[in-house]
Amino acid sequence: MDESLLKISELTVCYGRISALKCIDFYVNDNEIVGIVGPNGAGKSTLLEAIAGSVPVREGRIRFLGHHIQNWSVIKRRQLGLMLIPQEGNIFPMMTVKKNLEVSVILSDRHTRDELIDYVYQIFPILWERRRQTANTLSGGQQKMLAVGIGIASNARVMLIDEPSIGLAPKLVTKLFDTLQRIREDTKKTIVLSEQNIKILNIADRLFGLEAGEIRFDERKENLNRDVVKDLYLGSIS
Amino acid sequence: MKDRYEKLFSIGILLIPLLFAIRGGYLQQVSGYVFLFLIQGYVAWFLFFKSGQPFFGYSVTMAIGAYGTIVLTVMFDWPLLLSMLVSSFFAPVVGVILFLATIRARGFYVSMTSFLLAILFPKLINALQDITGGRSGLYFSGLSEFMGYKMLYVLVILVTVAIAALFMYLMETKTGKILTLISENDRLAEAVGINTRKFKIAAYCIAGFISGLGGALYVNYTGFVSSIDIEVFTTLYIFFIPLIGGSSVFYGPILGALFVILVPELLVPVERYFRIFFGLIFIIIIVMLPNGLAPNLQKLFVRIRSRKA
Amino acid sequence: MLLNGIITGLIMGGILSLPVLGVAVIYGITGIPNFAIGVIGVFGGFITWYFFSVSIGFAIAVGVIACFVIGYAVQRILLTPISEKGGDSTLFFIITVSLGFVFEGIIRAIFPRPNISLELPRLGTVTFAGFSVEGFKIIALVFALGTLALIRIMEERTEAGKSWQATSQNLKLAKLVGINTTQVFSIASGIGCALACVGAIFWGSLYNLELSSGWDLGFMGFIVAVVGGIGNIWGGMISALIMGMVISFSGYLLGGEWQSVILYFIVILVLIIAPKGILGSERSL
Repeated sequence: MDESLLKISELTVCYGRISALKCIDFYVNDNEIVGIVGPNGAGKSTLLEAIAGSVPVREGRIRFLGHHIQNWSVIKRRQLGLMLIPQEGNIFPMMTVKKNLEVSVILSDRHTRDELIDYVYQIFPILWERRRQTANTLSGGQQKMLAVGIGIASNARVMLIDEPSIGLAPKLVTKLFDTLQRIREDTKKTIVLSEQNIKILNIADRLFGLEAGEIRFDERKENLNRDVVKDLYLGSIS
Repeated sequence: MKDRYEKLFSIGILLIPLLFAIRGGYLQQVSGYVFLFLIQGYVAWFLFFKSGQPFFGYSVTMAIGAYGTIVLTVMFDWPLLLSMLVSSFFAPVVGVILFLATIRARGFYVSMTSFLLAILFPKLINALQDITGGRSGLYFSGLSEFMGYKMLYVLVILVTVAIAALFMYLMETKTGKILTLISENDRLAEAVGINTRKFKIAAYCIAGFISGLGGALYVNYTGFVSSIDIEVFTTLYIFFIPLIGGSSVFYGPILGALFVILVPELLVPVERYFRIFFGLIFIIIIVMLPNGLAPNLQKLFVRIRSRKA
Repeated sequence: MLLNGIITGLIMGGILSLPVLGVAVIYGITGIPNFAIGVIGVFGGFITWYFFSVSIGFAIAVGVIACFVIGYAVQRILLTPISEKGGDSTLFFIITVSLGFVFEGIIRAIFPRPNISLELPRLGTVTFAGFSVEGFKIIALVFALGTLALIRIMEERTEAGKSWQATSQNLKLAKLVGINTTQVFSIASGIGCALACVGAIFWGSLYNLELSSGWDLGFMGFIVAVVGGIGNIWGGMISALIMGMVISFSGYLLGGEWQSVILYFIVILVLIIAPKGILGSERSL
């Protein structure tokens, strides 16, 4: 059980008196794509933010690469290899695409930096086209790509992505998920996604269902019944 | 502390210094200052903390009351009480104008306009020194001529008590409750149909008038006013009164006024290091006791009492 | 006569622009309005004066470095932690003003007669268009422009500069990407105070430094920065030059006492009409 790369035990996160996450257990293995699914307000974003360190933890432990990081700062967690791509506020708005990426490779050494940036341009050719454009003039979909690009550029071992498909047209969603799959294969990273879109089933190895701050199920894709997931959203599991 | 006890306690505390009039002297003089600034402190308490209006210009409204009284009495020969009243009526004008001018703007810099006014005003006084005496200031005998110092002191206390009681009462009325609502959630208040602008203007008017009155009283008591007395630091000290003392309870500003006026007096022996301590204490209190002294002292009392029991 | 006014204005603007840049840099990167940098800068000026006998260069270096360290420490120990816990501008206003009191007290405690004048070497005169100006007076302006250019270049070219930009545009993401934002904040504060110190040194050599100068410089620096759009260093520079001329012309036309009155009056007007400053953007480098 303890070979998991990232393991969360009995995590409780509260906003004031309201518990957003209640005693959650969660784990991720190396090179997996793990999805966290659930309806609005289930606590998916909170879970990712707690792992990344943007939100303080009331109780519980987060173990990553053998360290207990639940009290670590965001910067320290990033140095260890965890990075979050938030749902909003995920780009540097007034810098060019090029600069956004240049800033994000800051923790890597010289050679790796160019490699990383080239790779981002490879997967998202449109970012290369628009590399001199200011980030906040890009379209919504392109900004999403830039955000993912920033995530790649930061070269973290585990990428946490908060609802990447939100606001994207269905064709783009499929494309995005395929790209994530490709990233996982190319770079051997681990990706944790929170999603409402059921297409995540196409790429996730495992799914956790989250509702009202509690885990409802944790299953490998093969074992998962689509109905179980549907019920999560339509609320018949309680 | 129960609400009613709190109010009675506050008023009671305020009346105790009447005894100082018996002995007079230094104690009477200093407490007179405390009371005069307490008036301003309650104004700041009312306008900034209870009604949520970001106004920093209390030294200006106070100065208008003070200078207005002198100018009208000395230069235009008006009867004293009339000058005091008229200047106090003028004082809110400034606040209301600033409010209306910045009504559409948002953010911290809006509150800066009133602060800038507080910086500007003494400089204006200096520039007009032919009328106002600038830094050398103006002397004024006013009420002390009629009443003598002891009676004047008693008057100051009674007026302060009346003002404190007025504000306490006001916060309980429908208007006060609406202002509290506006300060907590402006948009909600508008959404339920309250004309927030009207109420805010009313708050500025009341605050300005009382502050002006306090300033008029001030100049009668001290017999002197100059631009140095209304420097920007004055408005900061006034603002600190409810901030340090605690704005959530009625006697909070009392503690604050004691602090702001007495601590400098107590630190006179270490005059060279005075400002350092003053600033440091402010920082420590603001950071560690963000609710001010009063609620924390209250907690301390409760803890001591429960330990005895 | 007009030209004289303009030149005086530019000189004044040049001196003013240093604390203005200080405010703009600090606010631009950290989002904190720091009202104490004027007093801290004047403190540095006093330190410089103290070491004047050793050598002028040394004295200036000591003063500026001292201010940098103070700014760094204050940000690191006091301001950043409060900002992490969600301080708002009004709170920072109160705290930094109190901090100003503290440093004012320190000046008074250490220097028994807090009214000094710094004698910087006069670098001869520059003549053009029939006017002669002491070369020295222009240095402040040149220095300020140079600093501005330097900051912009650093932002575009160097790694550190890009981190500053990133930090000021999206603090949360900057942390996530691994930028040491705490360090960035502290350095920004240090630079801001160092700039204020240079401004105080110039001010002290043209006029004199006393206890209240810290507040004058600090408040003036702040309001001029706000007029230019507070985090905006270009705006601050332009605003400083314009304000310098306002001061100079109102001095000619109306006399000394009215200078500050007009200045503050204009700032209030600007705030009312265009709260985001004349260049319209608040927080950007």
